[in-house]
Amino acid sequence: MTEPRIKIGLVGCGQIADAHLQQIRHRQCADLVAVCDLEPLLARQAAERFEEPGQFTSVEQMLDQARPDIVHLTTPVQTHSPLTIQLLEAGVHVYVEKPFTVDAEEARAVIDVAERTGRLVCLGHDQLFDPTWLEACDLVASGAIGSVQHVESVLGYPIDGPFGKLVSSEPDHWVRHLPGGLFQNTISHPLYRITEFLPDPNPQLWATWFNKTRGVPFPTELRAHFRGEDVTGSLLFASTIEPRYRTTRIYGTQAGIEIDLESQIIRFDRRTRLPGAFSKVEAPLRLLGEAMRNVRRGFGRFVRAEGHYFSGMRELFCRFYGAILDGTQLPVSYDEVVRVTGLMDSMFAQCRMEDEERSTCRLNSDTRGSSDPRRDRYAEFPRLVIPAGGVN
Amino acid sequence: MQVLLTGATGFLGRRVLRALLDQDLTVRCAVRLGSDVNALKAFIGEEDWVRVQTEPANLSRLDECRVLLTDCDVVYHVAAGLSGCTSSLILNSAVPTRTLMTAAADVGCRRFVLVSSLGVYGPQELPRRAILNEDCPIDSVPHLRDSYTYSKILQEEVAREIANHRAIPLTVLRPGVIYGDERGVLTHRIGLPFGQWLLRMGGRQQIPLTYVENCAAAGANSGFAAGVDGQTINIVDDDLPNGREIIRRYRRSGRKLRIVGIPQFAIGWVARFNESYSDWSEGHIPKVLTRHRVQAMWKSLQFSNERAKRLLNWNPEIDLDTAFQRTLSPEG
Repeated sequence: MTEPRIKIGLVGCGQIADAHLQQIRHRQCADLVAVCDLEPLLARQAAERFEEPGQFTSVEQMLDQARPDIVHLTTPVQTHSPLTIQLLEAGVHVYVEKPFTVDAEEARAVIDVAERTGRLVCLGHDQLFDPTWLEACDLVASGAIGSVQHVESVLGYPIDGPFGKLVSSEPDHWVRHLPGGLFQNTISHPLYRITEFLPDPNPQLWATWFNKTRGVPFPTELRAHFRGEDVTGSLLFASTIEPRYRTTRIYGTQAGIEIDLESQIIRFDRRTRLPGAFSKVEAPLRLLGEAMRNVRRGFGRFVRAEGHYFSGMRELFCRFYGAILDGTQLPVSYDEVVRVTGLMDSMFAQCRMEDEERSTCRLNSDTRGSSDPRRDRYAEFPRLVIPAGGVN
Repeated sequence: MQVLLTGATGFLGRRVLRALLDQDLTVRCAVRLGSDVNALKAFIGEEDWVRVQTEPANLSRLDECRVLLTDCDVVYHVAAGLSGCTSSLILNSAVPTRTLMTAAADVGCRRFVLVSSLGVYGPQELPRRAILNEDCPIDSVPHLRDSYTYSKILQEEVAREIANHRAIPLTVLRPGVIYGDERGVLTHRIGLPFGQWLLRMGGRQQIPLTYVENCAAAGANSGFAAGVDGQTINIVDDDLPNGREIIRRYRRSGRKLRIVGIPQFAIGWVARFNESYSDWSEGHIPKVLTRHRVQAMWKSLQFSNERAKRLLNWNPEIDLDTAFQRTLSPEG
């Protein structure tokens, strides 16, 4: 008996669409039947480079003629909510590239439609399905580090890369119109690596953004801290560090673990057992052992051809298609979708409030002269702590 | 005579601007918002800067292009995406070309000069050591080439469509590998970088180089030369060296280079292996080498600049020795 095949369409043929199409073309159960973009040249290049599916410049036409079962949505986030709702209403399952929607309110509206129509929506939190990440999660779940106490998540962002340059040079770029600006498009990756271990629906958070890059007219750095019932987290988004940083460090009661998704490395950090000066020898020997394990793991992955940059995306696609074909569990739950989107809303609201305070303060000090004591007092302003989802 | 130049802050564009100013022209330059205009000003010099008008513009917006082109007679479209994924290269090359040419047709420009690339040819059908000139066909399966070449082929296609529909005189320049002090001589046509190493591909094939100032002079001439409307013109220098000679000169300048040589006969095998492994492993290693690209990039061919010399009244003024000296000098 042949396996049922599903027909896949893709809307939005920009940069990330290439990664989707690359993965879709290798899925046994999937046929790419359509690509769609408002810009005909982009639809054309995607069609020519990937299996020659139908190419469209209108979603309605694509739905009518190609009749896909699933559509991958890789358009700017402002279009996610209306397009996803349109696709769900047309009876299509939708894979939505991160971020899910502009805000949590839109996210809830999309999920309502999904539940009403009986179609599935999957959010592209693909790094949670990277084999290295899954291996690390298994280690944590096995109790190897004790109970999780704190999670640090780091993302280096190349503001001078092709996309960053485009965003900074075009005042009308869609990223510039997002409430969270540059961060909203990318920050969900380091954020969901924290929320994976921070189960609280409504953690306290503190966030600030600022600019350290000359010539770029918007904030390019973001720092955030989270405090849940049992676990805390911190997030570093930096465009002044190397973009190779996609790391997460998890501190447990008995040990720590560091996951480097860029190099697909896991570093297990246990306390030494030998006393005093002997421990100074044992510690580097342990590191050497870790290094050897990682060399073996990396070499094995290379030989088995498992070192793909988007391995997580491949696994997530398989699980989403499985949920549609076999009725298995959705890989990213709707609750998690709303929670992460709500946390992002709160972070950006807090950063904007701080901006407003700062500009008010600057305005006052400008009108009163440089000797205004408020300028100095500003440094001591109490930081706002807003529960996630508490700002609309 | 009003001239519009795009890409003026770039490697070739600033030399084209210099060449146009040397012809006593006043030049309007469309620059991307946030471009380093001060660097351009320093390059041109205070004295000539008074004849340069810089206009920040988004070339994908028709209304902005129409304003830019007010009273313009000649457009030099040098700006193009050079790196990034295929879609962003197309958004930075083909899409702005379409908009700018449409606007040029709307306002009645007298000539549109498009700077394309010699890479657009599909010499797969040519015999070895054949002469590649403007009569050779464009690659018929461009999506099998690298992203940059694909975007340039689409850019030319878009430009020709508009030229035909709107009857705007189009001249297409196809420079070879442009080199100079800011962009070295180690092109992919010689070999591919692999970490600290260079995988030298063959070595005896001629490399279609053009020194940036020679290329800029040809570009500047193309806006005013008679009889170039509707023409395609290849721009390469005289006395083209092969890959081995370039590497020899590079090393002689005191620079270090670690090389792994892949002989000409083995390039096809390596490409076949790369393709098969990439397909089997679902893209574990990308298809950097494919048989199609190998034929286009590393085939032994000869390159002609006869048409450029004849139509543009152009001769590469800076010879190979001087150009290499300038490019490879310690300050370069």
